[in-house]
Amino acid sequence: MSAMLLVAALRDPATVAGLDAAGWNSLIAMARAERLIGTLAFRLEGRAVPDAVRPILTDAKADAVREARQAIWEADRARAALAPIGLPVILLKGTAYAAAGLPAGQGRFIGDLDILVPRDRIDAAADALIAAGWEWVKEDPYDDAYYRQWMHELPPMIHAERDRMIDVHHTVLPLTARPTPDAAAMMADAVLITDGLYMLCAEDRVCHAVAHLLADGDLQGGLRNLWDIHTLLADVDPQALEARAARHGILPHVRQAQRLAAAIYGAGGRLTLWDRLVRARLLARNGWGQETRKALVFAFFVRSHWLRMPPLMLARHLFTKWRKGHRPQ
Amino acid sequence: MVREELYRREGAEAIIVRPLDDIVLLYHRPSCQTHMVISPVPEILDAMADGLPASAPMLRDRLALLYDLGEGDVVGEIGQHLAYLDRIGLVRPA
Amino acid sequence: MRHSLTLRIGPATFRIGSAWAQPIDQLKRLYADYPDVDGAIADFTVRLQPTSAVRRWVRPSIFITGDHGLADAAPMSLAHGLLAAEMGMNLQMALGWRRHLLLHASSVEKDGRVLVMTGESGSGKSTLAAQLGERGWRLMGDEFALLDLDSGAILPFPRLVSLKNKAIEVIAGEVPAARMGPLLGATAKGDIRHMVPRADAVARMGEGGMPALLLFPRFGSGPAERPVGQGEVFMRLTQASTNYVALGEPAFAALTRFVAQVPARAIDFPSGEAAIAMVDRLWSEIA
Repeated sequence: MSAMLLVAALRDPATVAGLDAAGWNSLIAMARAERLIGTLAFRLEGRAVPDAVRPILTDAKADAVREARQAIWEADRARAALAPIGLPVILLKGTAYAAAGLPAGQGRFIGDLDILVPRDRIDAAADALIAAGWEWVKEDPYDDAYYRQWMHELPPMIHAERDRMIDVHHTVLPLTARPTPDAAAMMADAVLITDGLYMLCAEDRVCHAVAHLLADGDLQGGLRNLWDIHTLLADVDPQALEARAARHGILPHVRQAQRLAAAIYGAGGRLTLWDRLVRARLLARNGWGQETRKALVFAFFVRSHWLRMPPLMLARHLFTKWRKGHRPQ
Repeated sequence: MVREELYRREGAEAIIVRPLDDIVLLYHRPSCQTHMVISPVPEILDAMADGLPASAPMLRDRLALLYDLGEGDVVGEIGQHLAYLDRIGLVRPA
Repeated sequence: MRHSLTLRIGPATFRIGSAWAQPIDQLKRLYADYPDVDGAIADFTVRLQPTSAVRRWVRPSIFITGDHGLADAAPMSLAHGLLAAEMGMNLQMALGWRRHLLLHASSVEKDGRVLVMTGESGSGKSTLAAQLGERGWRLMGDEFALLDLDSGAILPFPRLVSLKNKAIEVIAGEVPAARMGPLLGATAKGDIRHMVPRADAVARMGEGGMPALLLFPRFGSGPAERPVGQGEVFMRLTQASTNYVALGEPAFAALTRFVAQVPARAIDFPSGEAAIAMVDRLWSEIA
């Protein structure tokens, strides 16, 4: 069994009417494993479901609502911390969707607070956050040097009292990756949500989500990222998106994301051979919530590091990590 | 001057107040956080209930009408409590 | 998952999958008198899976996971598979249950009113609850007490009681062998044996009661007793709750009401008999 059961339910909620108990158990386990149970709960709102399922979906919705509230509060605290140095807060990903009340935010589980700041102000931003109670998470100097030199973000920070993480980005892809999106343009064209809080413009929101999905990660959580893209695509002008994607050097990735979103969550569409491999990786989940197709998953894991780093650096990085005992999950 | 900083209390609908026998519990809805506080924090919040901007000296004067505030740097202490309340979001700079 | 079982405990249903037969067989024997929920829709999925492909067969090693898991969970040997399954269920409840406020506490019921006992591991709350359960009280649970957010009642979660080290001898002496699980030696917490609650406690797993007394038991000294201020009670209960923060405002309301209405005492006791005597006395005075 693959996650086709889950994507079918998200694409066309009416299909759950035919599920038996085993089907529901599989659907719920998959949805939880893919962190899509909140999204599923909102997609199924108002629909008749078995008595045993209703409290599960109610709980998921309530969790998503509470998470959104806490995420928005974190954004407000970041705003308060950075206001003294005159830095507006540009929100990324889930927190932006929640703060702006976008459909992509409905039922979405939000992890850390992700914000975008200009690279030349990133140290000032870190100092201001520390003054307001955030601390560095990791102490490994190797990781720290790696982060500062090559990554698109600061090493992670956590707030001492609230125990919540913040990721401060200065661009949306690692500096070692091949596409180099125009971070300055993203910041210049950011739109206001409310007092002191901004988000990327509609086309850039899609571009960022695509960069995150296809040019950056090993597709962990890919079904959720692709759902974000699917809902975000509804708000964009297709030609503006093409132009913007070209500007950020990720036009092939955006086109691929559009094909995958259509094929998986939409009305269907033609996929290339490579698209099919990606789709197989995205759907590699069984009815017990376990990742399947281990070889394929591992291949993508290695590839994700490949994308982030030139080969020689990759070898040295993986070797250092291996010596320290890190293993892919 | 730091002492003249003005703060405004968040609205009544943002904070639930539950006194227990020895402390006061505050639930802050926007942050979903629970705080355990003791005097003079609940009294300071009460003194700001009108929602208008107030400074530490102003609050000292209001509280002095109701309570014996004792010796020491009362305005300074109230200022520290206000900074704490700002940090956790129960008051905002006005 | 080659082997599986669905179990209902209190209001929660668990679908447990295992790469090995042994833990499932052990669960089936000990939970034999629990409701038959074969094929039901489950609230949670628990998975006992090999830590790596080879560890399914060679020195079998269990990674406990499911809907909710901890990436750094310590692996367990197959000999402790029963314990792994119980821990897996606890993990789902602790991280995922939202329908009641969860208190890390034991609870027993008498005459429709409930005694709640909360404390650290080793405080004696599980053993004391098991002993009271054999002396006219109905055992509601030894690990989690469920606080109803609307009514303020405590609801049962009567899983197998986990007895450690010296407590094993004490309880095994009072309870028929059919109700005792296998000895799991040398776990991270010492020796463990599980005890099946009495048939009556299992049959009434859907029946709650209003809390009438809260105790903070501590085994190892005394006997001594002191009242506990409401501030301290509130703080200790939030620390003892895994889902207080996740539940937000309804949890704040329910817990403040509990703290305001339920008298609390801290008790120190040198033995089970002393504890039982203190409980009986306090119950008749207060509850």
